[in-house]
Amino acid sequence: MRVVVAEDLFLLRDGLVRLAEAYGHTVVAAVDTGPAALDALRTGPDVAIVDVRLPPTYTDEGLQAALTARRELPGLPVLILSQHVEQLYARELLADGNGGIGYQLKDRVLDAGQFMDAVDRVAAGGTALDPTVVAKLLGRPHRADPLAALTERERSVLELMAEGLSNTAIAGRLFLSEGAISKYTTTIFAKLGVGADTDTNRRVRAVLAYLDADR
Amino acid sequence: MRPAGRGPVRWAAEIALGGYRSVLLGALTGLLPAVGVTVGVGGWRFASSWSDRLTAPLPVRVLAACGEALMTAVWVAAALWIVGVLLARPIAQTCRRLAGRWLGLRLAVEYPPPVPVVQMATGYWWDGTEYHSSEREARRRAAMNARFHTPQLRYDGLWLAAAAVTVLPAVAVPLTTLGAGAYLLSRPGLPVAGAALVVLGVLLAPFGWRVFGPVAAALLGRTPRDRRDERVERLEAIRTDLTRTQAAELERIERGLHDGPQARLVALGMSMGAAERLIESDPAAARAILSEARAASATALSELRSLVRGIDPPVLVERGLVDAVRALALDAPLSVEVRAALPGRPERPIEAAVYFAIAELLANAAKHAHAAHVDVDLGYADGTLTGTVADDGTGGAAPSPGSGLAGIERRLAAFDGRLDIDSPSGGPTRITLAVPCVLS
Repeated sequence: MRVVVAEDLFLLRDGLVRLAEAYGHTVVAAVDTGPAALDALRTGPDVAIVDVRLPPTYTDEGLQAALTARRELPGLPVLILSQHVEQLYARELLADGNGGIGYQLKDRVLDAGQFMDAVDRVAAGGTALDPTVVAKLLGRPHRADPLAALTERERSVLELMAEGLSNTAIAGRLFLSEGAISKYTTTIFAKLGVGADTDTNRRVRAVLAYLDADR
Repeated sequence: MRPAGRGPVRWAAEIALGGYRSVLLGALTGLLPAVGVTVGVGGWRFASSWSDRLTAPLPVRVLAACGEALMTAVWVAAALWIVGVLLARPIAQTCRRLAGRWLGLRLAVEYPPPVPVVQMATGYWWDGTEYHSSEREARRRAAMNARFHTPQLRYDGLWLAAAAVTVLPAVAVPLTTLGAGAYLLSRPGLPVAGAALVVLGVLLAPFGWRVFGPVAAALLGRTPRDRRDERVERLEAIRTDLTRTQAAELERIERGLHDGPQARLVALGMSMGAAERLIESDPAAARAILSEARAASATALSELRSLVRGIDPPVLVERGLVDAVRALALDAPLSVEVRAALPGRPERPIEAAVYFAIAELLANAAKHAHAAHVDVDLGYADGTLTGTVADDGTGGAAPSPGSGLAGIERRLAAFDGRLDIDSPSGGPTRITLAVPCVLS
C-alpha cells in the first residue's frame, strides 16, 4: 500500500514510517505541516496517517486537511491520530458516511500489531475508532426511543462494529459464534433502518444512524 | 413614593405632600443661612453702633465702616463655621434618610468609627495621633478625631452650602408665594392679587422640592475617594485570590506529575533494566516485563492526558470556545443544546475562564439540579461576552462560600466579569455569566 504520514514530532513520524515499512507498505510522503499534509493527501494514497495538531497553527490543521481532502476525494482512507479523542471530531469525520475513517489515540501506536490492523481496516474502507471515543459516542444515556430498542448485547456488538471489527473479530471478543454475531448485526441494521449496501458501508451507516437518533 | 389615587384626589395629595416636604427641606437647608443672616444683621448693627457718634472727615468714617464690616464678616464666618461643624453631619444624615424615604435614593456613607485607644508600655494612652495620660482623655480625643477630622465632614459641609443656594431657593418660592398671598388676603385692599398668589403657591408646591433629588444624588452619596477605596479593596481581594488559586493549581499539577507519569517513568526505566538483564537468560520473563512496561507507558500517557485537560483543554486550543463548549455538551451525561453566535475569538485566558465556568455549570445541572435538558447560549454584544446556562432541574443554586458557583464568580471577577444566578427553589435555573472583552 502507498501510505502518507503527517506528524510533526520527528520521533513519532520516523517510528510510523518504519512501522509501515516493516509491514511491507510504501511510504510515499512523510510530512510535518498542515499544508504539506493536504498536498500529500490530494495525491490519493491508499491510506493516510494524520496527526490532528500540526504546524503552523498547532490547532486542528491535520483534521481540517483530512476533511478537506475527503470532500475532494470521497472515501479517501484517513487514520487520524491524536493525544486526545473528542466525539465532536469523530462525528465530523464520520458525517459523510463514506467510511475509510480511523480515529485513534496516539497511545495505540504502542501496540504495533493492533495499530497496523486498524490501518488495514481503514484502507479497506472500514472504520477504526478508538475504544475511548466509541465509549463516549455510544455510552451516553439514551434519550431517543429508537435506540432504547437495542438490547444490551446488540449495543455491545454495535460498539465493536464502530471500532471497526469484523464479525469474526467481534465473535472472538464476545465469546459468541460468528453465526450469532451475524444474526445480531442483521437485527441492528433492521432496527436502525440501514438498508442493503456493501457490508463495510452499512456498518458505518449503522453507527451514524445510532448517533443521529441520539441527538 | 408617589401618592396613590387619581384626578383631584391625587393633585390634592401631591400639593399637601409637596408643601410638607418643602417646609421640612426649607427648615433643614435654611438653618445655616438663617444663622448667617442673623449674626450678620445683628453683628452689623452692633459694630456700626461703635461709630454712631463719630464726627470725623469722610475718609476716616469710610475706614471705620470698612473695619466694622470686616468685623461683622469675621463673626459671620465664625458662626457659620461653628454651626457647620456641629450640624453638617446630622443635617446631611437627615437629608440622606429623607432622600431614601421620598425618592428611593440609596446614599448611605460610612463615617469612620473612633480609633480604639491602646495603653503603651510607658503607661500613656495612644489615640491614633497623640499620647494622653488618662484613658478617658484618649477616648474623648479619639471620638473627637473621628467626629471632626474626617473628609466626610467636609463633603457634608459642601452639601450644606450647595443646598443653601439650590434646594433652599427652590422650596422657598412656593412657600413665600403662598405666605405673601395669605398676608395680602388677611389685609383689606388687594384680595384678587392675594388669591392669585395663593393659587400660584399651591400650584408650585408639588414641584419646588424636586430639585432636592438631583442635588442630593450628586453631593450626598459616597465620595469619589470612598468609591476609589472600595475598588482598590476589591482589586486587592481579587489579586490575593488569584495568587492563591494559581499556587493551588501549580501544586495540583506538580502533585499530578509527581504521583503519576513521573513515578511510572521511573518504574518503566527499572522494568527495562530488568528486562535487559533477563533477555539472555530468561527471554520469556523479559518479554513479560516488557509488555508490562508498555502497559505502564500507556497509563502514564492517559494520566498526562487528563492532567492536560484540566490545565488547558485541547479542544479549546484547537477549535476555540464555541466548539469546545459543543464538545462539552456532547460529553455531558444529559441532553445539552448549544446555540452560539460569536463573531470572533476572545483572548485565551478569558476563553478558558468561560469554558471552565460553563463546564462547572453543566456538571452542577447534572449533579445537583438533576436536570434532564440544558440550553447553553453564547453571545457577544456591546463589548461583552455572555454565556447563559439554563436547565430544567430543581433549582435552589446559590453561591455559598466555598461552593463551585463562588469559585466561578471569583475566577470571572478577575476579568471584571460577573455571574447572575436566577434559581428559585423548585427550578428552573438560569445562570448568566458576562465578561467584558474584545474579540479577535
